[in-house]
Amino acid sequence: MDSFLEEEDEEAPTVVVAGKRRRRSSPAAQALQPPLHLPFLPLQPVSSNEHKLNFRKSKEACLSFIQDALLQKEWKRAAEFLTCYIESLEKDYSREHIGPSEMIWRTGAEILWHHSQSSMKEFNCFMEQMKTLGVKRYLKVCLEHVFHLLCNGQIDEAYQNLSLAESWRFGEQTAIQDKEMKLIQAYRGLLDYYSWSKQKNILLENSEDGFSDSAVEQEMHGYFRKAAVNLKEIIKIPGVWDIFVKCYVDLLEFYGDHNEARQVLNEYAYNSKFPANPNAHVYLYQFLKRQREPKKSLISALKILHDIVPSHELMIDFNTMLQKSKKRKKRRLGLEVIFAALDYAGWKENAKAWSCLSRQVKQIVISEKHLDWIKQEWNSRKDWWPAFHFSRYLAKRNWQENKSLSYEKALVAGILLGKGCKYFKYVSHQGCKAQLKRFRMLKKFVNRHNPVYLRISGPPDSSVQP
Amino acid sequence: MEFPAALFPSYFGAGPPQEEGGPAPLAGWGEHGQVLEGGPGRRQVQPAFVPRRGATGERWEAADAAAVPVLLPRAGCWIPSPAPQDILYRSGLCKKLRAGKSRAILDFTRQLGHFFVDHPEDAFGSLGRLLHKNFYLGNSKLQRPARSSTIRMTALVEDIDRLEARRGCPRQHLASRLRWFSHLCRDWLFEVPLGLLADCLHEELMQQWSNLLFDDSLTGGALAWLPPEDRGTPVGCLVHPGGQAMNHLYFQDVVLEELPRTRGAPAQFELSGRIQQVAAARVDGQDFVGVRSDYHCGVWRLLGKRGAVPTPLQVIHTDVPASCLTVSPHLPGELSVCTQSGTVYLWSVETGLQQLRHDPQTMFFRDHSPWRWSDFTAHPRVLSCADRTGLQCLDARAPKRCHFDLFKVGEEAGCQQGERVVLPMYLGRAHPSQYLVTTQFSVYVLDERLPLVPVLKWAHMMKAPPLFAHLMPGKPGRSHKVLLGASRTQELLLLQYRDSFWGVSSGGSQSACQLAGTPQKLHSIAGCLQHLPTQLPHRHHLLQQRLTAPAAGLAATLQEDGPHKSMLIFQLSEAGDVFCQRLTHNAAQPPAPPSRDEATTAPGSSPLFEYRRWLRALSRACKEPPGHTWSPSLSQRRLFTRKDLEGPVGPSSLQRQMRQRLRQTMKEGGLIQHWAPLALQPPPLPQALEPAGGLDPLSARLTAAWAGDWEQWWEERTSFSVAKRQQALRERRRRQKRAQGRRSLSASFTSSLTYQSELSELSDTGPSVLSPGRPPLLSQEASPPAGSPLVHSPATSAAPDEALLSSQSLRCRGIPKERRKTLRDYLSVWAEGPPEPPEPLGSQASQLCIPSSQSQLSSASQPRRKRPRMGF
Repeated sequence: MDSFLEEEDEEAPTVVVAGKRRRRSSPAAQALQPPLHLPFLPLQPVSSNEHKLNFRKSKEACLSFIQDALLQKEWKRAAEFLTCYIESLEKDYSREHIGPSEMIWRTGAEILWHHSQSSMKEFNCFMEQMKTLGVKRYLKVCLEHVFHLLCNGQIDEAYQNLSLAESWRFGEQTAIQDKEMKLIQAYRGLLDYYSWSKQKNILLENSEDGFSDSAVEQEMHGYFRKAAVNLKEIIKIPGVWDIFVKCYVDLLEFYGDHNEARQVLNEYAYNSKFPANPNAHVYLYQFLKRQREPKKSLISALKILHDIVPSHELMIDFNTMLQKSKKRKKRRLGLEVIFAALDYAGWKENAKAWSCLSRQVKQIVISEKHLDWIKQEWNSRKDWWPAFHFSRYLAKRNWQENKSLSYEKALVAGILLGKGCKYFKYVSHQGCKAQLKRFRMLKKFVNRHNPVYLRISGPPDSSVQP
Repeated sequence: MEFPAALFPSYFGAGPPQEEGGPAPLAGWGEHGQVLEGGPGRRQVQPAFVPRRGATGERWEAADAAAVPVLLPRAGCWIPSPAPQDILYRSGLCKKLRAGKSRAILDFTRQLGHFFVDHPEDAFGSLGRLLHKNFYLGNSKLQRPARSSTIRMTALVEDIDRLEARRGCPRQHLASRLRWFSHLCRDWLFEVPLGLLADCLHEELMQQWSNLLFDDSLTGGALAWLPPEDRGTPVGCLVHPGGQAMNHLYFQDVVLEELPRTRGAPAQFELSGRIQQVAAARVDGQDFVGVRSDYHCGVWRLLGKRGAVPTPLQVIHTDVPASCLTVSPHLPGELSVCTQSGTVYLWSVETGLQQLRHDPQTMFFRDHSPWRWSDFTAHPRVLSCADRTGLQCLDARAPKRCHFDLFKVGEEAGCQQGERVVLPMYLGRAHPSQYLVTTQFSVYVLDERLPLVPVLKWAHMMKAPPLFAHLMPGKPGRSHKVLLGASRTQELLLLQYRDSFWGVSSGGSQSACQLAGTPQKLHSIAGCLQHLPTQLPHRHHLLQQRLTAPAAGLAATLQEDGPHKSMLIFQLSEAGDVFCQRLTHNAAQPPAPPSRDEATTAPGSSPLFEYRRWLRALSRACKEPPGHTWSPSLSQRRLFTRKDLEGPVGPSSLQRQMRQRLRQTMKEGGLIQHWAPLALQPPPLPQALEPAGGLDPLSARLTAAWAGDWEQWWEERTSFSVAKRQQALRERRRRQKRAQGRRSLSASFTSSLTYQSELSELSDTGPSVLSPGRPPLLSQEASPPAGSPLVHSPATSAAPDEALLSSQSLRCRGIPKERRKTLRDYLSVWAEGPPEPPEPLGSQASQLCIPSSQSQLSSASQPRRKRPRMGF
């Protein structure tokens, strides 16, 4: 912030002290600044005789009128002010972060999106003018134009615009706007992919009918090449490229290049330069599943997903997979996974997850083996799960809203907290009152296995291994 | 909640932000950001795309032209916080100095002068008492024997007055006499060494100024709405602070009708500090309300049923001001607390405080702000911790080992240079794993399953940083509404976002988060000024001051009454006013957008009625307290000519008699109960011209003084009711506390001299009280009260005490505290002289002033492990 202050004295407020001539050291001077660099800080009361409106001031006033109208959704009024504001382009000496031309682009586009009398044609016309108004953001404006066309279903126009933008060259500006260029290419690749997919469907339909059309096939392969080149480029750069990766993998899989597809997905999931995107792991898992890979590799893919997002919805699949396993270690992991998932507020009322947990807990209790697993999981949760999951209030609500959820939860509560637990007591009482057989069985089961609760919640004994 | 099957494309970088920061007034418009395949229908010929920003949202329209008051003003006038003009230097000279550059200049000398005037005892107590007989303020020549030990100050005072007339140019033509005098006694006259005092004052001024620019103590807002129960009557509860010092907590039941209406008297709690934040959450059908003041945090519980009395559960005390208090939405009676020392606690009403982190340094790079924040996340045992540089989540069970970065000010989130976190908020009620982070430039939505990469970003373009935010979750398939509120500018912005839309690319499952509709500006409190009935100019000004007070909190509620949906938004101001506005949902697209004229129509009849009622209550509330109106200070020179001020040539027989008696009593160590003032015969006064009826306290007092029965007036006033005096005392204490809480100018000085302020409080003759010449009560033990004239004469002094004499004679003419006033005048100007002592003299002072600045320096220069702020 210091450097910023020095550069732009006009924007940033600084304070000097009258009557104190000594220069103060920098920490003290820091206190004079606000703790934040504030965007539109009114520096101080401007004395009232500064009425003289210069061009800059009237520009600012006009801008604030536009802003006001936009924020109140008065598009017509905003448009009127904007036509006045265009005059500000004449003397655009500003070195500001956002110059008048950019403001005109932004507000103009916004107005044309919402104005009741605007048409797509006008919008296109406006955007073309905006592109010529500033080379520094040529590609960005192009991209936004394309986005608007895409959102309005004008795919072909969008494609044309993308192609045009891709061929744009303007000295070093092209290199500066490399990020936008890469995105333009990627979106073009995406549209090529959709064309490819369309041709593929036609071809598949035709082949069902017994035709084969080499022209369509040729065209399809052409689209594939164009799409593949562009999509491949963007997904090398760190970022979130879910749709591009998905489309590229789809292309590769269609042409049987599974190794490349696997490599792409591995790179997307495990390259540390990329953000920890759960979808990258999900795509990999789905790919492995499609490839009918052995359980082991599926489990290891999901294990990593579990490590980064324990609350991912695939954890139910993961738990089922692990529960079925013959290995103790895996079943143990399954219990961990489902306990961890139920820690999250989003899973609180997930009946599926509760049934997974209750099934596994029931198994363990019946077999009387591995009670220490439950004990260990319960140890870090016993001080807050009762209030979080098993309060009387929740018992009432769950009973009213979802009986099977309250059944599963009551079973878990009964085992973990004993038959005296509020949740279990309330639900089993209500269930018995409603003469539901299930709940009577539940009550019996919990009563029979009540000693388990003492072992689970008791002090760590020597038989339990850490 | 499922994770979106495909996210909007975005680049991901690391390191400091690359985009240059700067004011970007319209940066939030005209951009779709990115697009993603989505929309309804799977078997379409062409893919359909949805934008990240620019999708249609719900239409909400303001029901009225302006916000309407919800609560009537309570008794006791609001004390406005300092405005820029109070601490900034304004003069023609200074304008020239600035020469176009907008630099604020702190008015250091004026503040120092104020301190000397307001706290003379603290500033010069002992030496003033010792020396006063050596200062002569009369006009006549000094007699021989006295001349050796007494200085005639009259000329000096005249010089000062001349300086006063040339204000704006304190240094030019500085009278040599003044310079000489200040050089002579700068080092010994002050109770607190001048260098130290100046440093303290300077520090305080800077603090005040930076608070004026941006005060983060209000972060989170001090207004909470406890919604009605799902199937109950539409009665909610508004939790808000009030009272002059904003140290009363009110729980007010409010019936939701066309306009919200209060029901019954509020439950009220008096707290020991100014309420900075009120946070609330509902767990298991009970509302938990956390209240933060600087050094105390408390938690209350309300059972779901309205009308139930709130129960205070626990209070904690912090040594360092707390900067954050949030209430867990997961577990009853759990809160998180942060202090400015960088400590984060998990506070459970049952088990007490658990320290999760202690780090006075910021997390990702160096930033000097001590502000910290903490909130809950989707996992009840994982808390987020924030400072200005970003957010981290840590597991309360193993806070040292288990943590991850949720948000960083940097290239990861595409931040701008200089961007800082202003307010993080857990959006759990809308989506269990989503988080809102606001900065001074942008608003971000984060998903804790995909840390560091915002799922939504938008430049909010607000003029002041959004310190308050409120979430109104929408039903599945509908948009969530977020209100952002700024403090100083009272801005209110309504945003809508969808946490998911129906995506095709995801095979019909949930897809990414998108911003819906355009942001909408809502009415601010100040906006209703133009709709109020016409006022007299000075009242209009007061009203304006009150209505434009910075906002202090924000709350809102959605109401669904069959097909009619409406939104009620409450805004709290620092003056304690709560205003409300209603938005109605417009389901159908209107044929034509409302024209400007329609939008600014005058408010309907019921808001107008509310305004009138509120104004009436306001004027009643503000008239009431006579105890501490500002004492009008008039220069005596304008009232009296020098001749008037001249005392009789020698001491009168009465004075001699009095002095005799005083000496006698002092010798005996006795007590003078009554001075028998009846013996004094004031000169005949003209009759009062106007009948004294319906006068305000000042006029009443002046009339009484004019008529000569001022003493009686004072007696009446003081003995009027003990209770009333106690009340006034309490008010004063509260104000002082408030002042201390705000670390005001006086607070930093009185700390070392507490006994004096205590004394003055006991005697109720502090400088702000209208009792300048109250008959002093002399006793051996107590030193004279701060405000009373010094009646102090050693028995050994044989010479007639000229100073005392003139003071007494003036006092009997009804001109109290003359000397104090003169001393003030003289000293306040004197402070404007060069405060920097010349080198040889100033060695002591400069040594003394080291501690404050040195400590700052040392803390800054010690080795730090954080990356410097370069590039951030």
